[in-house]
Amino acid sequence: MFGVWLSLVLLLCLLGGVAGFWWLQRRRQQQKEALLRRQLVSVTQSSRQTGDNIAHDLRTPLTRLRADVEDALRHDDSEMHRATLERVLDEIQNMQNIVNALLALSQAEAGVMRVRKKTVDLSGLLEELIELYIPSAEERQLTLQGRIAPNLNIEADRQLLARIFANLFDNELKYVPAGGTILLTALASGPHVEIRVEDDGPGIPVEMRDKIFERFARLDPSRTLSGGSGLGLSLVKAFAQLLQGEVRVVESSLGGAAFILTLPASAAEVSKPSP
Amino acid sequence: MVKLLIIEDDEAAAGSLKRGLAEAGYAVELAHDGERGLQQAQAGDHDLWVIDIMLPGRDGLSVLKALRDQGRRTPALILSALGKVDDRVEGLRVGGDDYVVKPYAFDELLARIEALLRRVRSFGSGPETMLELADLKMDLLSRSVTRGGQEIDLQPREFRLLEYLMRHAGQVVTRTMLLENVWEYFFDPQTNVVDVHISRLRQKIDKSFATPLLHTVRGRGYILRPEA
Ligand SMILES: Nc1ncnc2c1ncn2[C@@H]1O[C@H](COP(=O)(O)OP(=O)(O)OP(=O)(O)O)[C@@H](O)[C@H]1O
Ligand SMILES: [Mg+2]
Repeated sequence: MFGVWLSLVLLLCLLGGVAGFWWLQRRRQQQKEALLRRQLVSVTQSSRQTGDNIAHDLRTPLTRLRADVEDALRHDDSEMHRATLERVLDEIQNMQNIVNALLALSQAEAGVMRVRKKTVDLSGLLEELIELYIPSAEERQLTLQGRIAPNLNIEADRQLLARIFANLFDNELKYVPAGGTILLTALASGPHVEIRVEDDGPGIPVEMRDKIFERFARLDPSRTLSGGSGLGLSLVKAFAQLLQGEVRVVESSLGGAAFILTLPASAAEVSKPSP
Repeated sequence: MVKLLIIEDDEAAAGSLKRGLAEAGYAVELAHDGERGLQQAQAGDHDLWVIDIMLPGRDGLSVLKALRDQGRRTPALILSALGKVDDRVEGLRVGGDDYVVKPYAFDELLARIEALLRRVRSFGSGPETMLELADLKMDLLSRSVTRGGQEIDLQPREFRLLEYLMRHAGQVVTRTMLLENVWEYFFDPQTNVVDVHISRLRQKIDKSFATPLLHTVRGRGYILRPEA
């Protein structure tokens, strides 16, 4: 429903743009209209898909829950009841994660999530996160390496930054097959810092590189593998924007995906956090 | 018997919470709105308060603030609504001692209640320089650890992890508590990062010794104690 409203607003804006340009230049306008029409179609499609996906993502576990509980109630077997309750609890946890992520997303996107900016030793934070994830990476036969420039300080919210990288690392550990390499690079680049998380895994096909940041977008739509719900990268994007940064994905020179996050480097560059 | 006061308006939730805590050995008193909660807290001699933030009438933060303003220092654990990111900071600012987001796991709440009660009991015993559990010794000044007199080499983070576990010896600590207190992250990553750090620590402190000290409590977390 959030998505529907968003698309309505977008539709109105796009139509307003069309009207404004109409009497300016007929030829240019015709080209523009064609472009806008394509954008309209994709906006409405993606928001409809988002709505469908929310329903789908909550209905699938609900259906499973219901069938499971009904089945258990038909039997008088306490061991089976126990096993059912444990599955029910797992399923509740999954749904809780989805709801939590959706709430965080809408708060972040609506700008009501309070951002506590302070000077953060980004180099230190990234080293810490690597240290946190290395044992888990090694357990999956993955090599996790950092090439982090020293003394990168930025004005940011440490928890939000950490959540961004935790989401990216969680993905690396899920989608890069055993034996693979994950590389984290961080360096200053003019008024920005650039942090890359890249790998030699399967990568993201070109046509999916924008889409993957949308809610519920997954390369494997069946949701059977690894069981993610496709919200991690939308959170990454929303949090990056809260920090006046942006994120995109390109092909890594290692052969897999390279997620590139750019953030403003110094206090002077940073606008006041939203109230 | 340790006495708890729970101020929570959802009677069903408060009821199962009360039952769970009673089974864990606590005497539990309930209050279903802020005003009555405030009165009961003032009248009683509880060892700990569990206060829901969203209450009809007077909200939990204002109840806690009033109690703190009267100089009452009973430890308080705050329950907040799902997704209210700022409640944690706000709750700690008005004098809360710890914080759990709803819907919480009962075991998470129980572990935190135990940690808070423990903290109060050890309060005032002055800064410790030595932590000990069976033949495991941690020297906080020289930052060295030995077991059975044998030196154990720990990374700085492993040292902090073990220190936290030793300060809460005999008590279940959850993964979330470890992430918050040892790594200072207030969110739970998808990857089981903590488990792997625990198993590395276990390699170092338990592997070559007859009695294991660091145990996994299935579905709940970890506990450091001399007996299995
Ligand atoms: N490093 C990567 N390599 C290959 N594919 C990736 C990588 N990271 C993400 N993806 C693809 O992008 C999709 C979206 O990722 P995202 O983190 O948004 O969701 P998820 O991991 O599926 O679920 P969630 O994070 O909500 O648990 C994934 O399902 C996966 O197909
Ligand atoms: Mg993910």
